[in-house]
Amino acid sequence: MTLAAQILVFAGVFVVLASAVGLVRAKNLLTRLHFLSPATTLGAPLIGVGLVLVNGVQLGSGAILATVVLLAVTSPILQSATARLEARRRGEIDEDLPA
Amino acid sequence: MTWLFLAALLLMAGGLGTALWLAARGTAIERLAGMQFAGTVTVLTLLLLVQAYGPSSAIILPLTLTVLAFAGTLVFARLLGTR
Repeated sequence: MTLAAQILVFAGVFVVLASAVGLVRAKNLLTRLHFLSPATTLGAPLIGVGLVLVNGVQLGSGAILATVVLLAVTSPILQSATARLEARRRGEIDEDLPA
Repeated sequence: MTWLFLAALLLMAGGLGTALWLAARGTAIERLAGMQFAGTVTVLTLLLLVQAYGPSSAIILPLTLTVLAFAGTLVFARLLGTR
Protein backbone atom coordinates (compact mmCIF):
# COMPACT_ATOMS: atom_id res chain seq x y z
CA MET A 1 0.00 0.00 0.00
CA THR A 2 2.87 2.35 0.82
CA LEU A 3 4.46 1.75 -2.58
CA ALA A 4 1.20 2.66 -4.32
CA ALA A 5 0.95 5.79 -2.16
CA GLN A 6 4.53 6.76 -3.00
CA ILE A 7 3.90 6.30 -6.71
CA LEU A 8 0.73 8.40 -6.56
CA VAL A 9 2.31 11.21 -4.50
CA PHE A 10 5.43 11.45 -6.64
CA ALA A 11 3.31 11.33 -9.81
CA GLY A 12 1.36 14.29 -8.42
CA VAL A 13 4.57 16.13 -7.56
CA PHE A 14 5.85 15.45 -11.09
CA VAL A 15 2.65 16.89 -12.60
CA VAL A 16 2.96 20.04 -10.46
CA LEU A 17 6.63 20.50 -11.37
CA ALA A 18 5.89 19.95 -15.07
CA SER A 19 3.17 22.60 -14.79
CA ALA A 20 5.73 24.93 -13.20
CA VAL A 21 8.04 24.47 -16.18
CA GLY A 22 5.14 25.19 -18.55
CA LEU A 23 4.19 28.29 -16.56
CA VAL A 24 7.67 29.73 -16.90
CA ARG A 25 7.94 28.91 -20.60
CA ALA A 26 4.50 30.28 -21.57
CA LYS A 27 4.66 33.50 -23.58
CA ASN A 28 1.56 35.29 -22.31
CA LEU A 29 -0.96 35.14 -19.48
CA LEU A 30 -3.76 33.35 -21.33
CA THR A 31 -1.38 30.54 -22.35
CA ARG A 32 0.07 30.50 -18.85
CA LEU A 33 -3.36 29.97 -17.29
CA HIS A 34 -3.67 26.67 -19.18
CA PHE A 35 -0.69 25.29 -17.28
CA LEU A 36 -2.31 25.98 -13.92
CA SER A 37 -5.05 23.43 -14.60
CA PRO A 38 -2.99 20.20 -14.51
CA ALA A 39 -1.49 21.17 -11.16
CA THR A 40 -4.87 21.57 -9.48
CA THR A 41 -7.09 19.09 -11.29
CA LEU A 42 -4.57 16.25 -11.74
CA GLY A 43 -1.55 16.81 -9.49
CA ALA A 44 -3.48 17.70 -6.34
CA PRO A 45 -5.93 14.74 -6.53
CA LEU A 46 -3.02 12.35 -7.17
CA ILE A 47 -1.24 13.60 -4.05
CA GLY A 48 -4.50 13.53 -2.08
CA VAL A 49 -5.34 9.94 -3.04
CA GLY A 50 -1.78 8.91 -2.20
CA LEU A 51 -2.07 10.42 1.28
CA VAL A 52 -5.48 8.79 1.81
CA LEU A 53 -3.87 5.43 1.01
CA VAL A 54 -1.29 6.11 3.73
CA ASN A 55 -3.91 7.09 6.32
CA GLY A 56 -6.62 4.54 5.60
CA VAL A 57 -10.28 5.26 6.32
CA GLN A 58 -10.47 7.94 9.01
CA LEU A 59 -11.55 11.54 9.56
CA GLY A 60 -8.22 12.99 8.40
CA SER A 61 -8.62 11.26 5.04
CA GLY A 62 -11.95 13.02 4.61
CA ALA A 63 -10.28 16.37 5.25
CA ILE A 64 -7.54 15.58 2.73
CA LEU A 65 -10.11 14.62 0.10
CA ALA A 66 -12.15 17.74 0.88
CA THR A 67 -9.03 19.88 0.43
CA VAL A 68 -8.06 18.47 -2.97
CA VAL A 69 -11.67 18.52 -4.21
CA LEU A 70 -12.01 22.16 -3.14
CA LEU A 71 -8.73 22.94 -4.89
CA ALA A 72 -9.89 21.22 -8.08
CA VAL A 73 -13.27 22.99 -8.01
CA THR A 74 -12.17 26.52 -7.08
CA SER A 75 -9.10 26.78 -9.29
CA PRO A 76 -10.96 26.83 -12.66
CA ILE A 77 -13.15 29.63 -11.27
CA LEU A 78 -10.06 31.70 -10.47
CA GLN A 79 -8.52 30.97 -13.85
CA SER A 80 -11.73 32.00 -15.57
CA ALA A 81 -11.87 35.25 -13.58
CA THR A 82 -8.23 36.01 -14.39
CA ALA A 83 -8.68 35.21 -18.07
CA ARG A 84 -11.74 37.44 -18.23
CA LEU A 85 -9.75 40.24 -16.61
CA GLU A 86 -6.95 39.88 -19.15
CA ALA A 87 -9.41 39.73 -22.07
CA ARG A 88 -11.08 42.91 -20.82
CA ARG A 89 -7.69 44.61 -20.52
CA ARG A 90 -6.96 43.70 -24.13
CA GLY A 91 -10.38 44.97 -25.20
CA GLU A 92 -11.46 41.57 -26.51
CA ILE A 93 -14.69 41.35 -24.51
CA ASP A 94 -18.03 42.62 -25.73
CA GLU A 95 -19.32 44.52 -22.69
CA ASP A 96 -22.92 44.21 -23.91
CA LEU A 97 -22.87 40.44 -23.52
CA PRO A 98 -24.10 39.05 -20.20
CA ALA A 99 -21.36 38.00 -17.76
CA MET B 1 14.42 11.98 5.46
CA THR B 2 11.03 10.42 4.83
CA TRP B 3 9.61 10.16 1.32
CA LEU B 4 6.83 12.60 2.33
CA PHE B 5 9.42 15.21 3.30
CA LEU B 6 11.27 14.60 0.04
CA ALA B 7 8.06 15.19 -1.94
CA ALA B 8 7.37 18.38 0.05
CA LEU B 9 10.92 19.56 -0.54
CA LEU B 10 10.60 18.99 -4.30
CA LEU B 11 7.35 20.95 -4.34
CA MET B 12 8.82 23.81 -2.33
CA ALA B 13 11.97 24.08 -4.44
CA GLY B 14 10.38 23.68 -7.86
CA GLY B 15 6.88 25.00 -7.26
CA LEU B 16 7.26 27.86 -4.82
CA GLY B 17 10.37 29.16 -6.56
CA THR B 18 8.50 29.30 -9.86
CA ALA B 19 5.47 30.90 -8.22
CA LEU B 20 7.60 33.63 -6.64
CA TRP B 21 9.33 34.23 -9.98
CA LEU B 22 5.96 34.61 -11.74
CA ALA B 23 4.50 36.78 -8.99
CA ALA B 24 7.42 39.17 -9.23
CA ARG B 25 7.30 39.85 -12.98
CA GLY B 26 4.94 41.47 -15.46
CA THR B 27 1.76 43.46 -15.01
CA ALA B 28 -0.49 43.19 -11.97
CA ILE B 29 -2.87 40.84 -13.77
CA GLU B 30 -0.02 38.60 -14.94
CA ARG B 31 1.18 38.32 -11.35
CA LEU B 32 -2.17 36.81 -10.38
CA ALA B 33 -1.15 33.58 -12.13
CA GLY B 34 1.90 33.36 -9.89
CA MET B 35 -0.23 33.98 -6.82
CA GLN B 36 -2.67 31.23 -7.79
CA PHE B 37 0.16 28.78 -8.35
CA ALA B 38 1.74 29.76 -5.02
CA GLY B 39 -1.56 29.01 -3.25
CA THR B 40 -1.86 25.59 -4.88
CA VAL B 41 1.74 24.61 -4.15
CA THR B 42 1.51 25.81 -0.54
CA VAL B 43 -1.66 23.78 0.08
CA LEU B 44 -0.07 20.63 -1.35
CA THR B 45 3.18 21.19 0.58
CA LEU B 46 1.24 21.67 3.81
CA LEU B 47 -0.70 18.46 3.17
CA LEU B 48 2.55 16.54 2.81
CA LEU B 49 4.25 18.16 5.81
CA VAL B 50 1.24 17.62 8.09
CA GLN B 51 1.15 13.98 7.01
CA ALA B 52 4.88 13.63 7.69
CA TYR B 53 5.32 15.50 10.98
CA GLY B 54 2.20 17.26 12.20
CA PRO B 55 -0.62 16.18 14.46
CA SER B 56 -3.58 14.91 12.46
CA SER B 57 -5.65 17.89 13.66
CA ALA B 58 -3.33 20.23 11.70
CA ILE B 59 -4.90 18.94 8.49
CA ILE B 60 -7.37 21.82 8.93
CA LEU B 61 -4.58 24.25 7.91
CA PRO B 62 -4.38 23.36 4.19
CA LEU B 63 -8.18 23.07 4.08
CA THR B 64 -8.53 26.59 5.46
CA LEU B 65 -5.81 27.93 3.17
CA THR B 66 -7.64 26.55 0.13
CA VAL B 67 -10.75 28.57 0.99
CA LEU B 68 -8.80 31.69 1.95
CA ALA B 69 -6.61 31.59 -1.17
CA PHE B 70 -9.74 31.29 -3.32
CA ALA B 71 -11.43 34.26 -1.65
CA GLY B 72 -8.24 36.33 -1.62
CA THR B 73 -7.52 35.83 -5.31
CA LEU B 74 -11.13 36.64 -6.20
CA VAL B 75 -10.83 39.90 -4.25
CA PHE B 76 -7.62 40.75 -6.14
CA ALA B 77 -9.32 39.98 -9.47
CA ARG B 78 -12.27 42.17 -8.51
CA LEU B 79 -10.09 45.09 -7.42
CA LEU B 80 -7.87 44.88 -10.50
CA GLY B 81 -10.99 44.82 -12.69
CA THR B 82 -12.23 48.13 -11.32
CA ARG B 83 -8.96 49.99 -11.83
